[in-house]
Amino acid sequence: MLKTAAQEQLLPGESLQEKWEFAQEAGYDAVELRAKGDLHFASRLPELKQALKDGVVMPTVCVEMLHFFGAFDEELRRDAIKQMKSQLTVIGEIGGLGAQTPASYGMFSRRLPPFEPPRSEAEDREVLLSGLAELGEHAAREGVTLYLEPLNRYEDHMVNRLEQAAELIKEVGLDSVKIGIDSYHMNIEESDPAAAIIAHAPYIGHAQVSDSNRFQPGAGHLDWQAWLGALHTIGYEGYLAAECRLTGDPVEAVRSVPAFLKGSGA
Amino acid sequence: MTALLDRPARTAAADLTLRRGAARVLLDNWTGSGTVPSRTLYPHQWSWDSAFIAIGLRHLSARRAQRELESLLAAQWADGRVPHIVFNSAVPNGAYFPSPDFWRSSTAGHPAGAPASLETSGIVQPPVHALAAWLVHQADPAESRRRGFLSRVFPHLTAWHAYLLGARDLGGSGLAAIVHPWEPGMDNSPCWDGPLSRISPIDTGSFRRADLDHGHPADRPTDLDYGRYVRLAADYRDASYDDRAARHAFALEDPCFNALLTVSEHALADIAAELGADPAPHRARAERLTETLVARLWDEEAGAFLARDLVSDELVRERSVAGLAPLLVPGLPASIVDRLVGTLDGPGFHADATALVPSYDLTGPAFDRTRYWRGPAWFNTAWLIERGLRTHGRHAHADRIRASLLETAGGSGFAEYVDPTTGEGRGARSFSWTAALTLDLLHTDDRTEAGR
Repeated sequence: MLKTAAQEQLLPGESLQEKWEFAQEAGYDAVELRAKGDLHFASRLPELKQALKDGVVMPTVCVEMLHFFGAFDEELRRDAIKQMKSQLTVIGEIGGLGAQTPASYGMFSRRLPPFEPPRSEAEDREVLLSGLAELGEHAAREGVTLYLEPLNRYEDHMVNRLEQAAELIKEVGLDSVKIGIDSYHMNIEESDPAAAIIAHAPYIGHAQVSDSNRFQPGAGHLDWQAWLGALHTIGYEGYLAAECRLTGDPVEAVRSVPAFLKGSGA
Repeated sequence: MTALLDRPARTAAADLTLRRGAARVLLDNWTGSGTVPSRTLYPHQWSWDSAFIAIGLRHLSARRAQRELESLLAAQWADGRVPHIVFNSAVPNGAYFPSPDFWRSSTAGHPAGAPASLETSGIVQPPVHALAAWLVHQADPAESRRRGFLSRVFPHLTAWHAYLLGARDLGGSGLAAIVHPWEPGMDNSPCWDGPLSRISPIDTGSFRRADLDHGHPADRPTDLDYGRYVRLAADYRDASYDDRAARHAFALEDPCFNALLTVSEHALADIAAELGADPAPHRARAERLTETLVARLWDEEAGAFLARDLVSDELVRERSVAGLAPLLVPGLPASIVDRLVGTLDGPGFHADATALVPSYDLTGPAFDRTRYWRGPAWFNTAWLIERGLRTHGRHAHADRIRASLLETAGGSGFAEYVDPTTGEGRGARSFSWTAALTLDLLHTDDRTEAGR
């Protein structure tokens, strides 16, 4: 049985402790944290440490900002790297496994006007490799992993498929950088999501789950049995972290996820 | 060599490794709508392979298992036949022989109702499909109902059986006849040697076999056999695949083919009941098939069912695993079950090196331990025999086959078949039905299988 986690904003409750109580009752094994910019995540360290003392399991954090290490703008890029380093340090400090980020989000899509990005593919690649190397080295020092998340073509123009992420990671050559896969994006981008998991198995470090329509697993039409079966096949031992929107009664929707995933072969 | 029973019981870790290995084969061989039997040797969709694959795939993804059968049935001809190969148009003609330009289904098969939009072969394979559909449904009834799986495949399956018991009842006895050695799925079985000797082979220089590019010649049918296979297929094609017009120089009633038709007819009864239709006609047909199978093909002296040559109207006196497969049929007379189990345990079919059942009598004159269906033990027939033994409550015997199947599948890299004298894998590796049936037996608890 694969372990499940819910992102903190999905869980009802004021504090992490309250959220964790709900999460456990629903059958989750962990909470995935979200990290805003301006070093906000670092400012939460006392709260996180107290939660840790109170038994809240928080293995991973996912970035929640509007600029990323692949930004066109040099200043924003530098800030994103600073933020990610801090997030990696903090998640390491509370005994977690790693932090997830895409190359960019909402910055450019080759499928939408004006279709041609202001930076060449070669320049994109240089920026990504240098960012991944810097963040990967930092992650290694902190004993954690940076998870690079491929997004669908409408949300990012640089890393859409596992193959692209794996190629960059191979080039960077650091064990501290892995792919953070997401079932929703894979459904759009991969011709066979299960086969992509098998093909890039050594590089997969984390998994986020939402259905074909971005709602909670079970609300769409993904072939969860095949997707989860592929994760079992590669011996994946990480978490399935719900990062999704909710349809129906939100509390019931969040509560339904662990049982649904278990019933689908998790 | 250590006897099977003395070997240590399988561990959970070994089962996990095996499950992962089997799942990997099925995930690798999936093409988007179906599964190829082997990426190298068999790059298209095969009929009975797909049925066996679906039986295992249901444990990995119920939806893929349903798609597997649906995509095969989408190639069904209007006369009801389910073709033995559905060709992948993206694969070049040279990758497999006989290729679409040999069969010419969309033109030569047009009068018989072959689909115009895709290419298939014109012959058939054993009807495992209704059984597979019922097992696939049972793996995830909610998903099956949500997709309307059974209600969509049911008309295809009934038309398929109607074709076999109509146009293909060449002997007028109520059994389905095969008209090509590839139809029973056991291409070069010695059972066909006699009937085939009447066929003049096509000059082997007139075509190029693709199976030898990846398979070892010692493991594959001979060139002479191939020349005859091609002659029969070409003659059938030139008669527009019309079973009444064709002069079938090769026509037999095969026990395994008809046993599978019988259990699939039982499955149709179950499917009908599930859909709120009347199961009685299917049940009655299954019972009639059982009686006819015994009356026409059982041979007390051989202790096995034998194929009946419809040209000479005589039983072919060669014992093969096809003659033991009717063990699968519920309601078989107890005395016959006893004899079949005795034959399985006897010198003809009991191999020391493996509990998988040799495809041909170990003591028979034509036995060849490595050549395809002339001796090697296959995983699908082992699965059928295992299921048959459980059908008749012979669980200890079934357990031995199950243990051997799991061990040999993993140890051989999911080989296509096994040399029964050494237990070593032969033929293709990462073979889909070997992986699928491994997955199936891993998922079925051998102690609670009586009602399976």
